[in-house]
Parts: sequence; structure tokens; C-alpha cells
Amino acid sequence: MHLLFSADEIAYLIGKSGTIAIAKTKGNFFYLETESEEIVLFTEPEDLMVASSWGLGEDVMRGLACTIYQLRELGAPLIVLPKGHPASSRLKAVVSIGPRTRLNCKIEPGTHPKQDVLCACDEFHLMEVLARPGGAEIVGTAAEDIDVVIKGL
Amino acid sequence: MCTVGGGPDIGNIESLATRDYECQDCKNQFKGMGRRPMCPSCKSRNVKAI
Repeated sequence: MHLLFSADEIAYLIGKSGTIAIAKTKGNFFYLETESEEIVLFTEPEDLMVASSWGLGEDVMRGLACTIYQLRELGAPLIVLPKGHPASSRLKAVVSIGPRTRLNCKIEPGTHPKQDVLCACDEFHLMEVLARPGGAEIVGTAAEDIDVVIKGL
Repeated sequence: MCTVGGGPDIGNIESLATRDYECQDCKNQFKGMGRRPMCPSCKSRNVKAI
């Protein structure tokens, strides 16, 4: 499935129990904060921010938009929790940034910056989000299982 | 690329492919990853891996 959206828009993928928001990085850099160090993540303009949340509806979409806005427009840092941190189970949204994101429902949220893996609800399990000029390519999921909504940020 | 959604089978933070950089304009030193490094302090692309 190919999605077309501009740098000022967010593409939402809405499943049965979860929502994914996809936006362009606009070539911005992002601060990645681990327990011991700060890493600056550089991106290409067509790279993607993929935010995942466990829930549906307008509130969840607004929450994901706020997450993307804080990171991309306000320069808020990405916080990486140590493995097993109690806050992992309380996270409302998790974010991956780069040219490719793989969704997986069998991982612990908010724990590690290294790989292009993001936790999501069951219907997005094993789905991949790939950066493409002017949008994104979604592979590994049946298009009829998800609704797509594109909105301005 | 990076994520804040990782898993128990994923490696250690120390294995991140980061590089140390110094900005040639403002001398800011920082650790970064990605293909288009830029000084996060002064936004210059005149940076050098150290």
C-alpha cells in the first residue's frame, strides 16, 4: 500500500485496537537520550517518524500528533528507557525514526534505540513502514484490515 | 535510525553505530548517527568525525 502525504501532514493507520501515525522528519535531527549519553540522530528529508499507540479515536490521534510535533517542531528529546523500567508499561506512545520501521507486538515498549523495531498492537504485527519520495510504503499487512486517514499536522 | 520501542532480544546500547564529531565552526563536540551530520548547537554542516 502506497501512502502519499506532504511534510506538513500525518498519515494515520487505524486498526482494530491501535493507531499508527506516520510523518516526514523534514531532515531534522533528533536527540536520543539513553541512561548514560546523548546521541544526535541525523535524518534525510524523506525519512519517517512512526509513532504507535494502543488505542483508537480522536484523542489517540491528537496524542500522536502532539508527540510528533514535540519531537520534530520543538526539538523534544527521545527518551530511551532501560530494559525492565516500570514506566515501559505506562507509555502511551512510542516512536521510531528512520527510513524503515518494522512493527512488532511482542517487544517491550520504550527500552532501546538501536534497531528499527517499534511495538504495536496485534493487527500491525510484522508490518513494515518504508520511506518513499512524497510518502511511505506499507508492506506486510492486508490493506482491508486498516483504515487510512491523512490530516494536516 | 532509532526507536524507543525495543525488545528484550535486542543488543546493548554500547553497540550503537555512533561517531564522535566536532563542529569546525563552533567547536561543539557531540556523538551522532546518521548520514547527514549537522552541529546541533549552531546548525553548521561543517563538522568532522574525530
